[in-house]
Amino acid sequence: MFDELLDNYLRFLESLTVGHFIRLFWFYIFFEFIRYFVLEFFVLNLWRLTKVFGKKKHLKARKDFLFEYPLVSIIIPGKNEGKHLYKLIRSLNEQTYKNIEIIVVDDGSDDETPIIGRDLEKAGLIDLFLRNEVRGGKASGANLALRYAKGKFIVHLDADCSYDRDAMEKIIIPFYKDQHVAGVGGNVMVRNYDEGLATTLQAIEYYDTISIGRVVTSYLGIYRIISGAFGAFRADALEQVKGWDIGPGLDGDITVKLRKLGYKIKFEQEAVCLTSAPNTFKKLTKQRLRWDKSLIRFRIRKHRDVLIPNQSFNFLNFFAFMENITYNLVLNFKWYIYLIDMVANYPSQLINILITNILLYTVTNFVKFVIYSLYRIRSNTSYTYFLIYIPCMVFYFGYYLRIVRTIAYFQEFFFKRSYKDPWNPQKTSAHAKRMNL
Amino acid sequence: MAAELEINEQESTIKYAGFTFLKIDYLDNLDVEKVQYYSAVIIDGNDPDFVRQIVRRIRAHNSPDIYLKPVFLLKGTNIVDPVINKLVDGTLYSLEQIELITPEVERILTKTQDLHFTNSLSFEAQMIEKIICFMYTCEIQDLEPIPYIYSANNYSYPILSINFSQKDEHLALDILEIAEEEGIFSSTYVDRVYLCPSCQSGHMTYREVCPKCNSSNSRTEDIIHHFPCAYVGPLSDFTNEIDDQLDCPKCNKRLRHIGVDYDKPSVLHECIACSHKFQDFNVKAKCLFCATDSFVEQLKGREIRNYSLTKKGQLAAIKGFINTSKDIEEIIGTVKYETFVTMLKYEIERLRQTEGASNICAIHLSNPSQIYSKIGSEVQKSLLKDLVKVIRSNIRTSDIISFQSSSTILLSMNEIPRKISIRILEEIITMLQRLIKTAFKDIEVEFEYEVIKLDYKLSPQLHIQQLTKSFS
Repeated sequence: MFDELLDNYLRFLESLTVGHFIRLFWFYIFFEFIRYFVLEFFVLNLWRLTKVFGKKKHLKARKDFLFEYPLVSIIIPGKNEGKHLYKLIRSLNEQTYKNIEIIVVDDGSDDETPIIGRDLEKAGLIDLFLRNEVRGGKASGANLALRYAKGKFIVHLDADCSYDRDAMEKIIIPFYKDQHVAGVGGNVMVRNYDEGLATTLQAIEYYDTISIGRVVTSYLGIYRIISGAFGAFRADALEQVKGWDIGPGLDGDITVKLRKLGYKIKFEQEAVCLTSAPNTFKKLTKQRLRWDKSLIRFRIRKHRDVLIPNQSFNFLNFFAFMENITYNLVLNFKWYIYLIDMVANYPSQLINILITNILLYTVTNFVKFVIYSLYRIRSNTSYTYFLIYIPCMVFYFGYYLRIVRTIAYFQEFFFKRSYKDPWNPQKTSAHAKRMNL
Repeated sequence: MAAELEINEQESTIKYAGFTFLKIDYLDNLDVEKVQYYSAVIIDGNDPDFVRQIVRRIRAHNSPDIYLKPVFLLKGTNIVDPVINKLVDGTLYSLEQIELITPEVERILTKTQDLHFTNSLSFEAQMIEKIICFMYTCEIQDLEPIPYIYSANNYSYPILSINFSQKDEHLALDILEIAEEEGIFSSTYVDRVYLCPSCQSGHMTYREVCPKCNSSNSRTEDIIHHFPCAYVGPLSDFTNEIDDQLDCPKCNKRLRHIGVDYDKPSVLHECIACSHKFQDFNVKAKCLFCATDSFVEQLKGREIRNYSLTKKGQLAAIKGFINTSKDIEEIIGTVKYETFVTMLKYEIERLRQTEGASNICAIHLSNPSQIYSKIGSEVQKSLLKDLVKVIRSNIRTSDIISFQSSSTILLSMNEIPRKISIRILEEIITMLQRLIKTAFKDIEVEFEYEVIKLDYKLSPQLHIQQLTKSFS
């Protein structure tokens, strides 16, 4: 059986011509290989060159920052996050940059978070602990903290994360490199990469899509989502956009709001944050369904005006949106077209096409992982640890995440399911739905 | 035939039915020692402070001849003081009513005859003996705590608490605990008080203070969450200058209906002194005595209990309360008080025949409750031993030392002129003060002393009374 399959496959490879190869693997060649390898690799090199030549500018920005020594307000909204707080606060108190104030908002927790928070406040480990007896949602928690933050810069953190010693310093420096920068995203890595297959695959995914992918989009000026786990903002810019709107997906939303005002958004690879990724595929699916719905809700609905040429039209914003919509929405469905194309036109070769696709993606993933390791700031363990998991990535990225994304798009597009997501309280989601927010 | 009422205005005495009453109507020059020579005391006064002081001086006295004496109030108006009312044996509104109190006087005096007193060296034992004797003569079964504004603990056990200054009143609670351990009392829970960790006073002012600067000057505002735009801020962000309506500063929408488009999830306090914002006040208690500002968690919680005299307690009152586990056994170099009195009697007899010159002296610790509350019974014992050692090294071997109480040391110095006795005593006092200063750095001890020449016309008891009457 296997011999027959192998024999058949080798014959298939022998019969492949260039034209035939392009016809059978057009999706990989034109959309995946060019965008996610050739273009990415090209931009990465440009970024590296800019970094080398911009060293002086970087040092000057750092000097200016440390000379001014502004107050940085770190805000941590969340519900039932008390168990993570001590570890988080310990990593914040270790920061090289000391002029920080820490504001923790407890959004109606029903566990021991209020006791832990008050204890930390009493011990002087956090500056302000605010508790809302009634849950209002993540955006309201962040806005409450923002209202009482006194810093020139606001850093939004998730409670289940911890930070490199120089993370705060590193994330603020880009503001001093370019005065039009209003938001900087930090580099999020998976802390619990070795907890199980789900977290290991996410760790590899984060290396690719965040540590490298966001360097590229940031360099191209189309970086569109500052992760809620680690993002810094200019307080005056946040004041202009009046803080966060109702989620889920508020991280991407606020980034778009800032971009629409003409501000630049940057990614800082050296500002490292470790987060706890969902440790089961069930939890991961739930998280991704929530994230993916926001593409429809925020890009297609709430901020569709970015795509319409008008007075405030901005080409970069348009391009960022189009890139996002194309690669996440259009190509997601185009892949199904590719699948139908193959099933309809090459039914006898389906197995061979599938094997080749898997091999192509796997080899690309290996090559990318090895080469891109030269461009990453660091990894939380030896890269060789992840190599044996690379073959799984084709199934993780190509099938699992694609299917989850498809379900999310359908749910949001046809049923507006994000408004029913228990992540956000119904009392606010109902208003958001009615007002199309 | 009704007995005749004899009033001697000059001596402030009243005689009726074989009883002599001492009438006290002013405080100046009051010699409380005189009380022992009368059947009972009538206090004539409408001023609560005046009455409180007189009652205090009688009931707080060390001698059972004084503190157990029946005390009555003669008053034109009501004195509403719960503690005074517990410490007096009755009230009369005119001297014509004196016949109404004579049965009570007779009863108390008769019951006093049943009692047997011991001279324990332990301060705690003396106090316990005093309470149970008083309860026995007044036929009181329960020692009830009374909520009392003048009590440092906020609750007064009248006959016990009156022996202490406000500063030391917490000691009453310790003494009652000891008495309960000894089986004199059984108790039931009444309340819990919180005392200053520094001075043990229960007079506190409680304040909610800023966790940063401890100021109690703050303002509080509601926090409002506007659902449609997720804006959250204090109420003042939503108010406008035109009308009483609330408008969202983020989306400019008017707030309509709490619970529908907005809610108030919390409140926020702002310290006016330091501008610190917070949600949880610290609660602090400032002591009105020593001004120590403590967190409520640091306050010393003490139980206030109702104490009932047990059978053992009643027997102890009659037989004399011998000792407690806290009591102090006899100290080497001293003789028992009873022995001292007997020896004094023989010395007086000898003087009657020889006409020699002998003296008795007393050294008195003026502030015993302050000292013993600080050092505890073990150290108290070693302190007394040290005092005796110093005294013994300065007097002749033939001289006798005895303790009248834990605060009063008696010395018999025979065949020696009074002047020399005074000089020796002065030297002893200086040495004792030096000893205390070196051994107990935090304790300040005040000594008083008295020397009297023995007079063969007087009894030993009268000598001792004369000797100790001037001590505070």
